[in-house]
Amino acid sequence: MNSFYLLLILLIYLGFLFLIAHWAEKKANSKWTNNAYIYSLSLAVYCTAWTYYGSIGVAANSGLGYLPIYIGPIIIIPAWIIILKKIIRISRANKISSIADFISLRYGNSRFLGAIVTVVCLTGILPYIALQLKAISETFHLVTKTTTSSLIFNDTTTYVAVALALFSSYYGTRYVDASEKRKGIVTAVAIESILKLVFFIIVGVYVTFFVFDGFDDIYKQASLLENFRKKNSIGGLEQGLNWFFLSMLSLFAIFLLPRQFQMAVVENNRERHIKTAIWLFPLYLLLFNIFVYPIAWGGNVLFKGFAANADTYSLLIPQHFGNTFLTILVFLGGFSAAISMIVVSSISLSIMLSNNLLIPYTFLGKLRSEEQFINNKKIVNIRKFGIFLLIISAYFIYRFFALDYSLVSIGLISFVIIAQLAPSFFGAIFWRRGSRLGAIYSILIGFFICIYTLVIPYTIGISNQESVFITDGLFQIKLLKPFQLFGLDYLQPVPHALFWSLLFNSLAYFSISVSFKGNYRERNYAEMYVDIDKYSNKHENAFVWKGTAYTTDIEKVLVRFLGIERTKRALNIFNVKYNVDKDQELADARLVKFAENLLTGHIGTASARILISSVVKEEKVTLPEVLKILEESKENIIINKKLIETSKELQVITAKLQKANEKLVLKDQQKDEFLDTVTHELRTPITAIRAASEILHDDSEIPEDLKKQFLQNIISESDRLNRLIDKILDLEKFETGKQTINPQKNNLINTIENAIEPLNQLLKNKNIKIVLESERTLFAFYEDDRIIQVITNLVSNAIKFCPEIEGIITIQVQQKDNFISTTIIDNGKGIHPNDFEIIFDKFYQASNQNFKKPVGSGLGLAICKQIIEHHKGKIWVNPSPKGASLTFTLPINNTI
Amino acid sequence: MKKRHQQKLAVLALLLLVALNIPIVLLFDNSDNFLGLPVIYVYVFSVWLFSIIISFIIVQRYYE
Repeated sequence: MNSFYLLLILLIYLGFLFLIAHWAEKKANSKWTNNAYIYSLSLAVYCTAWTYYGSIGVAANSGLGYLPIYIGPIIIIPAWIIILKKIIRISRANKISSIADFISLRYGNSRFLGAIVTVVCLTGILPYIALQLKAISETFHLVTKTTTSSLIFNDTTTYVAVALALFSSYYGTRYVDASEKRKGIVTAVAIESILKLVFFIIVGVYVTFFVFDGFDDIYKQASLLENFRKKNSIGGLEQGLNWFFLSMLSLFAIFLLPRQFQMAVVENNRERHIKTAIWLFPLYLLLFNIFVYPIAWGGNVLFKGFAANADTYSLLIPQHFGNTFLTILVFLGGFSAAISMIVVSSISLSIMLSNNLLIPYTFLGKLRSEEQFINNKKIVNIRKFGIFLLIISAYFIYRFFALDYSLVSIGLISFVIIAQLAPSFFGAIFWRRGSRLGAIYSILIGFFICIYTLVIPYTIGISNQESVFITDGLFQIKLLKPFQLFGLDYLQPVPHALFWSLLFNSLAYFSISVSFKGNYRERNYAEMYVDIDKYSNKHENAFVWKGTAYTTDIEKVLVRFLGIERTKRALNIFNVKYNVDKDQELADARLVKFAENLLTGHIGTASARILISSVVKEEKVTLPEVLKILEESKENIIINKKLIETSKELQVITAKLQKANEKLVLKDQQKDEFLDTVTHELRTPITAIRAASEILHDDSEIPEDLKKQFLQNIISESDRLNRLIDKILDLEKFETGKQTINPQKNNLINTIENAIEPLNQLLKNKNIKIVLESERTLFAFYEDDRIIQVITNLVSNAIKFCPEIEGIITIQVQQKDNFISTTIIDNGKGIHPNDFEIIFDKFYQASNQNFKKPVGSGLGLAICKQIIEHHKGKIWVNPSPKGASLTFTLPINNTI
Repeated sequence: MKKRHQQKLAVLALLLLVALNIPIVLLFDNSDNFLGLPVIYVYVFSVWLFSIIISFIIVQRYYE
């Protein structure tokens, strides 16, 4: 392949990335750039050229050793739901923009600690970036079949490095506030993650199924090779220990690598994106790993006897078979893996470099007196300069130190160096007593041991294979041999270094932390970190601070960095959030913390504190005082919570009481109405009786037949009175629950027929047809007499309302599930939908005087309802276009 | 997500720590052919896949 064409392809590819980043920045809030999948995929920045090429090299040369690099993350990822969520909450509350901020803030906002963390990260990551550049360069020359040029200007990687520096500095420093989200970078990295995975799987499928005849074929041919069995097993307990240490190493790395912290924490938009990452990211890693073994051993089979670099099997195999297209795809995949690592790492390192090293130690004094516009420009320029500096130095490391080591070994060294942050990092979120001194010494000691056991011997190894230092130890003391420190000789160099460095590191951290009392500020932040869930909403409350500060002084500092408008807006938000009067002159602890937070994103935690404390007068607070204040605020929070809960309960109860009261008032009104109606109803027959008896009493000369007529009236009115009183008593019994029923299994059809029989004469007189639609027998569970009463009532009502000509009443009986429903339909004038409910009220007709009062007590339907409900059935009015239609149901057995 | 369900995931992490480390992993330390891969690979990948499925089920069901 001609190098010119390949360079052209690279340029097009880089242009494509710029486009994506540009598009994503424009649509920063759209759901395309702001979703859980982009977040999960951007985490795959974990898979660098090391995964892409290096894993294959390890799998081919030494076997299983590449797997622990993924096992660690796989183990810990389910626990992200707790740990990562906590880290994200802490970082969001404190506007943290790098791991250096995270650790240094926790240990009392220590400037020195932030600087140490930055140095550790730089030492660990710079050679690693150099390795990525080396991978790009090597694969480029492999694809184009050229050799490395000694002239910088002839080296393609030079231009790639410059292009990457431009890309990172443009999209990485768009915002002065480093805790702002960089959607362009994140989206570009996510897209690259897809590309590198897809290309890798394509070459995997190609090797497995086209070059070879499936997994089985590769296994059969590879198993004939020398050492196959040894390399494809862990091989005993000692190797098992190596496996264990390496997986712990990668477990730390997934949290601590600056690029992972950047993607997983700083660029996290929503906490709930973790939900998807928890399964999608391991799935991504799994897919990436499935084809490592077949490519590695397929390569071993194909290139047996040749001196081929196993790291590049994925390129060599398609090239061997003359498949240029596939070779370029693989190259592009490796290229994306490398550049996404370079871009993200350089951005996160440059933030640390500026916020935790350069600004707090050098520029802060100058920034303090400048205008906002100049300040912002300066800060952004420092970061841009940082990115260029990092990428260029990585480039020179790659150019001028002949990096003879494979991708994996340098990668692992950088993991071990970064792992030195582990005790102070995890201690920060789970252990209140971890102290600044402990953190500083632990990192320094661990770092020193790393330098001794890994960095120095590897650096010597580059130039001189035979070194007394490595073979005999420092000052020829056997116990100080860097790879067999204190005689520990069965671990490989990396697990060996990890073991000793982390051992002394943790020992220092824990023992110093418990031996010396930390200062109050450390303890304050410790409480905020460990108990973040309690403070996450109003975390400014958790900041303990005493002294005098004036709002105007703080405002002045803020204006220098945020500008007048943003400062005003931020202070307004603060005043609203904590209900503070905006003219208040004296600032309290919350405002001090709030102001520090606002500055943190711009200049880092340490500088923010230095700036703010220069305009306020802080009084020393003793440790017990801090604890007391925190305890109080914690109690306050708990009491507040309880109060809110109780007041909620009270509200519920009040609402219930109100409802009950309304019901009672209504009932009272109904009772009054009922009494009114009852007296009225009782009075009508009595008046009639009284009138008739008076006439009979006063006038003795009434003709005999008229007298009979009057007496007849008296009898019928008394009967009516009697019936009315019976019904009222009946209803009262039902309503007060004194009435009991004795349901039995009966044939409902018989009951209906029995009920209709006495009405037959009346039906004939009024010329009404009655139709019964049902089966012959339908058994239900009820008391016969009571249901006869109901049916009689309903049918009589129907008769009452039937038109004078062609009246028809239909009775439908059918079974529905566990109930028998009976519907009685007439073709009269129907019931107004508004009355569907109230017709079952007592004396319903009485309150409805608009139409001519029909005959009846007005209690019939109310009694029917009581009877049916006592049978555990229901009665209701069906909406129907013409006529009235009422349905009641009865259970078919007594289990309901 | 309720604490109880979060702890399910934490327990899964503990299980994985045990399943993918010594001494358990050494029980499957074998390069015999299983589905075209050495047994140890198949073991590691199956545990891996299992953890993905379980996490998926837990977060889908309980994350609110």
